Amino acid sequence: MDLGLRYGAPKSSHGVPGRWRVLALVLAASLLAGVVWTRLAYWQVLQHTQLAAAAQAQYHELVELPAVRGAIFDRNLKQLVVNTTVYSAFVSPDQIPDDQRARVALALGSVLGADANKVNQTLASGAKFAYIARRFSKDKADALKAMLLPGVGLEEEQQRAYLPSIANSSLAANLLGFVNYDGQGQYGVEGYYQKQLAGTPGYISSYRDLANREIVLGTHTHKDPVNGSDIVLSLDSDIQYAAEQALADGVKRDRAESGSVLIMDPNTGGIIAWADYPSYNANNFAHTDPAAFLDNISSSVYEPGSVMKVVTLSGALNAGAITPDMVINDPGFLYVGGYRISDWDHRNHGNITYTYVLAHSLNVGAMKAMQAEGHANFYDYLQAFGLTRPSGIDVAAEDTVAPPPAAQMGDSQFATTAFGQGIDVNMVQMLSAVNVVANGGRYAPPHVVERMGTTLNPLLMAPQRQVISPATAAQMTAMMEQVVQNGSGWSSRVRGFEKDQAGKTGTSQIPVNGKYTQDEWTSFVGFLPAQHPRFTMLIVIRKPHYPGSENDWTLNDGYLTAEPIWQKIAQSIVVDWRITPDPK
Amino acid sequence: MRRRRRTRGFVQVASAAASDRLRLNSFGHAYLAVGIVLGAILIYLALAAQATQASYDITHLQDQQRALLAEQDQLRYQEVTLHAPAQVEQQASKSGMQRVPPANYVASAPVAIDLQAPVGAPPTDSTPLWERAVAVVADKLGVSRDAMAATK
Repeated sequence: MDLGLRYGAPKSSHGVPGRWRVLALVLAASLLAGVVWTRLAYWQVLQHTQLAAAAQAQYHELVELPAVRGAIFDRNLKQLVVNTTVYSAFVSPDQIPDDQRARVALALGSVLGADANKVNQTLASGAKFAYIARRFSKDKADALKAMLLPGVGLEEEQQRAYLPSIANSSLAANLLGFVNYDGQGQYGVEGYYQKQLAGTPGYISSYRDLANREIVLGTHTHKDPVNGSDIVLSLDSDIQYAAEQALADGVKRDRAESGSVLIMDPNTGGIIAWADYPSYNANNFAHTDPAAFLDNISSSVYEPGSVMKVVTLSGALNAGAITPDMVINDPGFLYVGGYRISDWDHRNHGNITYTYVLAHSLNVGAMKAMQAEGHANFYDYLQAFGLTRPSGIDVAAEDTVAPPPAAQMGDSQFATTAFGQGIDVNMVQMLSAVNVVANGGRYAPPHVVERMGTTLNPLLMAPQRQVISPATAAQMTAMMEQVVQNGSGWSSRVRGFEKDQAGKTGTSQIPVNGKYTQDEWTSFVGFLPAQHPRFTMLIVIRKPHYPGSENDWTLNDGYLTAEPIWQKIAQSIVVDWRITPDPK
Repeated sequence: MRRRRRTRGFVQVASAAASDRLRLNSFGHAYLAVGIVLGAILIYLALAAQATQASYDITHLQDQQRALLAEQDQLRYQEVTLHAPAQVEQQASKSGMQRVPPANYVASAPVAIDLQAPVGAPPTDSTPLWERAVAVVADKLGVSRDAMAATK
């Protein structure tokens, strides 16, 4: 190769040979190239990971594909909860030209009802992002879209919608609970079955172009979401509504603090209605006092009062310690463990039968039955009837207070427990216990969900625990019929079923700071038709102030406060389910 | 021994034939190759553009589907609400129908408990004397729970 250097390359005027100049140039070029290469190596090798990640962040997008939350149906497959799409409007004030602000503010104000001054302030702030309104309906979103407002965007969100009921509340709010804005079920069935209802979200990993449009056919990975399971409850929405109405009327009439209704299928333990008053609107949970979310049926306990005598006498009957016709002497009081404990009327009843004891709700008779049975047996029956542990109902936040172990219970506590004071239970526990009598002596585990997807609740297939014999259950049923026919249950009688319904009242004082007050829990539990029960129902009214009770506080008793509500709801069920009395 | 004939592929035959016919020199071959590459690139670009356009169309359709699903949800809620017991009752009352009033409460019934009756004979109390004494002391000290007598 002839580079023209070897032969007579001219010397520079300063005497520097030309080849050195070339070498210098080559060196300089090499240095420059080296700098560029070094810089390139820095960006492409050393900074590769960060830059690749930054580049991917610009065009790559990982979008979560939300799973559709399962619907909730009642026993007749009427939908109780619906998924709806709602919209939130946001603005990017820095993208709204000054001359458009007034138009945008006016439009947002007119469509969304937003305060025009506030919107103007937001638009003038120059912020990058701000919400204008959250969770509004599709109609408004469509109207907003049609206006083509600059710098205004819409965001889709899922929301659960619940059916309306009385007095601006939603149907079965305390049973169903609600789903918060993060998609988490809160309280009730929504809370308990969060995992099953929510399903599993999927995702799509795709690319976007400069205009932020998705390139669907590009390289992407995709995982389909697994939608939540639909669930079918044992609830009957028509009965639920009737119960909520009757309860609200009753609580208002009794001037009570609150009230609850729980209705159960005697054979399966499925909950037919679960009503609280006052309740709340689950569609408006964000603006509701959180205290209203607490459910009085399973999340709070009460002293059941004389309803407990059903359990006490059933156990004693089953143990052979007493019979319905056994005669005892009831002087009106009994000394137990250093305490004098009286009947509610402080009267001497003389020689009476246990049927009479139950019909007239006499504490002395209940205590004597417990004593005849023995403490150990009595405690065993408390356990067998499910009163010493949670019922396991499939509703979030069940609350219970277990009684102390038998060895730690004194004579007086056994005595008071026999007639339902000094023991705390929730309504689910109490109704399930009484339901043993209606179910031929078997304990039907209480539950709300009958079916999840296509899977039947395993509880429905499991054998039920025999607590008392069918014969004992029949005897107790007959005794409870007497309560309605000749005793304190007279005001619960349903027309046509006067001779064919069983029940028991309960009234107990509410303790405050360890002392009993004049405030009461009043209750009534019953089932009909007595021989082939279709439902078992428990009503509890808290702190009633029945008209006239200022002078005679016994007017607050269950027969005047709880029973009329029971009767009204039972009447609705009889009509709705076309129940006929048992042939005699 | 029979000599096996070597078969030539279509491309070889075609290129040989084209080369013979066109009588291309080496520059001609280079131009041809570049032309083919350019053609392939153009076809690729056209296909890629089509694919991108199709993906935009799909995105648009997905948006439409989302909007329709939202509308379906809305309609479903309306339908379900129309069947809600509260709504049915409201509609019924609007159209002049009235609920049959529930049977009246039983106003009174003969019950064995008569609060006005004179108090019965004095109770026969077989409680040991010492236990009654303890109860009296407990009553005086205010620790008695006689209030539970209210339980009925």
